[in-house]
Amino acid sequence: MRAENINHLLPKTAIIEQRITETEDTFSLRLSLQGDGFDFKPGQFNMLGLPGVGEAPFSFSLIDEERKKLIQTIRQAGNVVGTLAKLKKGQKVHFRGPYGNGWPLEKLEGKNVIIVAGGIGMAPLRPVVHYLLKNTGKIGKIYLLYGARTPADILFKNELARWSKKINVLLSADQVNQQIPLKVHEGLVTGLFKQIDVQLSDTITFTCGPQIMMRFVAAGLILDGQNPGDIYVSLERRMKCGIGHCGHCQIGAKYVCRDGPVFCLPDIRRFADTLL
Amino acid sequence: MDSKSGMNEAYVISHEDLLSWVDSLMRRYDVYGPVKKKRGQVVFEQIKKADDLDLQYCSTMLGPRQFIYPSRQILFDIDRQTGKYHTVLPERTKRRLIFAIHPCDMHAISVLDKTFLGVFKDIYYKKLREDTLTVVLNCNQACDNGFCASMETGPFLHLKDGFDVVLTAKLNNYLVEFGSKRGVSIITKTDGFNKATRKDFAEKKEIETKAKQSFTKHIDTTGLPELLMRNLDHPVYKRTAEARCLGCTNCTMVCPTCYCYNIEDKTSYNLESSKRSRYWDSCQELNFAIVHEGNFRSSRQARLRQFVTHKLATWVEQYGCFGCIGCGRCMTWCPTKIDLTEMAKEIQQDVKIGRAR
Repeated sequence: MRAENINHLLPKTAIIEQRITETEDTFSLRLSLQGDGFDFKPGQFNMLGLPGVGEAPFSFSLIDEERKKLIQTIRQAGNVVGTLAKLKKGQKVHFRGPYGNGWPLEKLEGKNVIIVAGGIGMAPLRPVVHYLLKNTGKIGKIYLLYGARTPADILFKNELARWSKKINVLLSADQVNQQIPLKVHEGLVTGLFKQIDVQLSDTITFTCGPQIMMRFVAAGLILDGQNPGDIYVSLERRMKCGIGHCGHCQIGAKYVCRDGPVFCLPDIRRFADTLL
Repeated sequence: MDSKSGMNEAYVISHEDLLSWVDSLMRRYDVYGPVKKKRGQVVFEQIKKADDLDLQYCSTMLGPRQFIYPSRQILFDIDRQTGKYHTVLPERTKRRLIFAIHPCDMHAISVLDKTFLGVFKDIYYKKLREDTLTVVLNCNQACDNGFCASMETGPFLHLKDGFDVVLTAKLNNYLVEFGSKRGVSIITKTDGFNKATRKDFAEKKEIETKAKQSFTKHIDTTGLPELLMRNLDHPVYKRTAEARCLGCTNCTMVCPTCYCYNIEDKTSYNLESSKRSRYWDSCQELNFAIVHEGNFRSSRQARLRQFVTHKLATWVEQYGCFGCIGCGRCMTWCPTKIDLTEMAKEIQQDVKIGRAR
């Protein structure tokens, strides 16, 4: 088929290999893809859906290139997820993608890195942590700041202990109502800033979470001396097409689906309705 | 000079011969054009004879966009048993020809092309666009709310391609020029088409100059995108939105460059199949930008600002042209006559007197 005549709205099929319950309201689907071609980058997303239900965008929390497997981590919200949540091992799910630009990993070489995740925002950042763990030699100091509502809402707990051996993992929860093996600071994720000890002028920050969180993360880091152009945010917007046609995700002159979802802060903050 | 294709040729044809040419086109094409309805409203619809055409028409509620990007269309028939998606492409027995499109509307289609035939191509749009011939009719007179002269999309067509034929109504006959080889191929030279002379072009120029002078509505677009982006917090949006905007979405439904759509699945009663379709959506709709985290444009003020700044500012960065083609439909069909040029002018004025940036 000529590239001209590809129907970008036509989904492909993936098989659910495993359904993982992450927390009370969050689950992951490990997808095995059929056919050739596997080109998914951290920070990109798929439109997952089913006939009669519709489609919605979800980011990758794990990319296994060798075995052509993807994990998509999904929080319960909305119609599409309600149906996806009921899917079991062996069932099919339809997807379109990958869409979006992904995290600019190439910018991290030789720099310190701060990752700030909030809630489900940890999902698209997990592949970045995996990349960092593999490339510690090329990168300066690495911090992961991760905030959730309660310790029970912290995702990927079994991996966090392992990560903390190689990178600085700092956790926070709005309400610490139970103890988990890892130390959890009570308060907002920005409350962890004082524990960061890096030269901010030589640091790249990736952040994903509620927009109001990213607003204060960015403001705090800029006040502490970070260059706004070194801060990258990943945004959530309503999406129907994923290819810059349906208009729902528009912010100013940008389509979050096609030009994002990862933006260099000054490039997106200049528009209205961002909260950034 | 592409003399072989005949694209640089031009002809003149009398009114009667033009109508018989349209009649002859109907054998090969489904011809659509402006038709005057009972209450004086002109709409684009399929015609049965050339006589149905109202070539004096001013503006229509919906532009010819609806034939290339339908307000509702089925994308897939889905078999829920097998999970197979069958792409539903709009198949027609005859190709479509839209007659007497005004230059603003032709520009609007070329603006839509930038979305649907840009980085990612939409095959549904592409099929209808390619299967539709376009015959433009230049405007000799400004219409009530039109300001296409300010947007440089009219009253005469200045597109280099993307259309097939362009007509200019002169005193005694029509000047016929071409935008594509396909356009040349739909005329039969024996049917009253006579070679145009230098005099015909001089007359065209004269009519264009007069037409341009007939506009009462203007907007100065110099530096407008930058000016609007510097003044996103200007009070005009809040005041207009709260006092007048009903959130009815009329502006975006009639706007010939609006492309936003929503996708919807409908399942048959026996649950065996689903149809996935898309339909025009609107950024003026309350829940257009809602996600689980919240609604990023929950206020009418934010939604109105989105409309104005998209059409007159951010579109330029996105596509290299304005999203407004100056047809005036949004203000004509707004129940409270909200006028985006007035909002822009108020900001421009405030800048002049130092009340805005």
